[in-house]
Amino acid sequence: MTTSNNDSPWSRSSWLDRSSILLFFAVWELAPRAGGLLETFLAPPSAVLKTLWVLLQNGELYGHVTVSLGRASAGFAVAALIAIPLGFLLGGNFKSFERVVNPVLRFLGQVNPFSLFPLFVMLFGISEISKVAMIFWVCIWPILFNTITGVKGIDPLLVRSARSMGIRTPTLFFKVILPAASPGIFTGLKMGSGTAFFMLIAAEMIGASRGLGWLVWNAQINFQIPQLFAATVVISVLGLILNSLLELLERHLLGWRVAANNN
Amino acid sequence: MATAEDLTKPTDTDAKIVVKEINRVFHLKKSGTEPAREFVALKDINLEVRKGEFLVLVGPSGCGKSTLLDILAGLAFPTSGAVYIDGKKVTGPALDRGIVLQGYALFPWRTVRRNIEFGLEIKKVPKRERKPISDHFISLVGLDGFGDRFPHELSGGMKQRVAIARALAYDPDVLLMDEPFAAVDAQTRESLQDELLRIWEATGKTIVFVTHSIEEATFLGDRVAVMTPNPGTLREIVKIDLPRPRRNSDTRSSAEFGWIRHKIWSLLQNAPIEARTRVNALPVADAISPSAAL
Repeated sequence: MTTSNNDSPWSRSSWLDRSSILLFFAVWELAPRAGGLLETFLAPPSAVLKTLWVLLQNGELYGHVTVSLGRASAGFAVAALIAIPLGFLLGGNFKSFERVVNPVLRFLGQVNPFSLFPLFVMLFGISEISKVAMIFWVCIWPILFNTITGVKGIDPLLVRSARSMGIRTPTLFFKVILPAASPGIFTGLKMGSGTAFFMLIAAEMIGASRGLGWLVWNAQINFQIPQLFAATVVISVLGLILNSLLELLERHLLGWRVAANNN
Repeated sequence: MATAEDLTKPTDTDAKIVVKEINRVFHLKKSGTEPAREFVALKDINLEVRKGEFLVLVGPSGCGKSTLLDILAGLAFPTSGAVYIDGKKVTGPALDRGIVLQGYALFPWRTVRRNIEFGLEIKKVPKRERKPISDHFISLVGLDGFGDRFPHELSGGMKQRVAIARALAYDPDVLLMDEPFAAVDAQTRESLQDELLRIWEATGKTIVFVTHSIEEATFLGDRVAVMTPNPGTLREIVKIDLPRPRRNSDTRSSAEFGWIRHKIWSLLQNAPIEARTRVNALPVADAISPSAAL
């Protein structure tokens, strides 16, 4: 991978690319000073940063972030552990069964998770499990559907060519089927992690006593506008970090795929 | 009279591959207005391939040549009859046969080197022994310096070289090639043919090569087995006495080359009556004309 001059972080075009975000922060900082409604409802970045600093120092932020990430990763992990093997079975070994159950799965995948939340609360109470169950519900579908698509899309020639060398079935799975299906699985994982984070905040706003979603909700109830904005900024930054971590992982694991697509 | 015992044992012990009384029947299911019927893909095929021989199977599409190659590879099974390699009955795929397919079938997540080492990994060759072997075959197919490239970075011709190197790397005695050069352009095709003959001369492998191009068959083979469809039968085996080493630059322009090519062409045209009546309905002349795919 080559880095041209234009990609350097200090080049002219790179500053141009960033000018919009700088302008955005400048307007945001100045607008509340104009007074009126803006002053009441909009906390300038300087005030938000101050609140963030306080939340960081008293350790409160750390607590909320770990609680939120813990819930999200638990739901996500359980979903992946069930959806990936199930996807291999449905996409590979039981193709005709998959055709039969596909409409049902698609329907379940479309069921709005918010409308299910009361059900989860009835089943599990306002506990950790009800929130993890909601994350699980939103994660399992994209992972399952993309794994099925990935497994179905494996080039049969690759399997034939490996079979011609007398490969055993477990070796075939780990050396051919799994890597060939991995781009599909990864697409599912990326989609799943995105929605997981999204839904987590919502779940925490509905019924929780800790977490980033609760922090937003609590700030609103107590009319602590800077804290509301601080929590929102943390959520956005966490989302960005999560996304780039996944992209990094994808480049590392599926570098051949990324490069092949760019060609 | 051949007894049952004779039919199950190869006759010629010097032969590398013995194909004995192979029949392959497909049962086609009822579809729409078409009633269920049987399709005879291969009928009474007998064939012997000597050790180190370059045998070409030629014929129009639907003559069963790829099915026969699949049976040799152990990827498909005959309805009756059997294939013997070194006197042993073929019961499935194994590393004594290497196969090269038309569509390259390279693993896109593996570099050229790791593709070539695939069969060695299955053979459980230790890692440090794999590298000198892959180095050797990378260089044999003329891809020095491309070992760390991924398939998507290579041209069609280069991919097919990798596929050949991959099939050779685990050192099979027999190389089975199913229209390997059908997907590349004419010029690349000729250079790959030259390359293949050079590799064959250097390694002494027994090669069974499937093609629908009469030109290609004539240029490459020691013998050309001419196959006709409906049902797939072995019409005749043409011995090709063109001097070796053959190179595209001079072999093709010789008078003998033209004569043999014409002979194979007319064999394919004058299929026996039984086959001809049905074959004429198909655009068979297009499928097998000597210039097709060249």
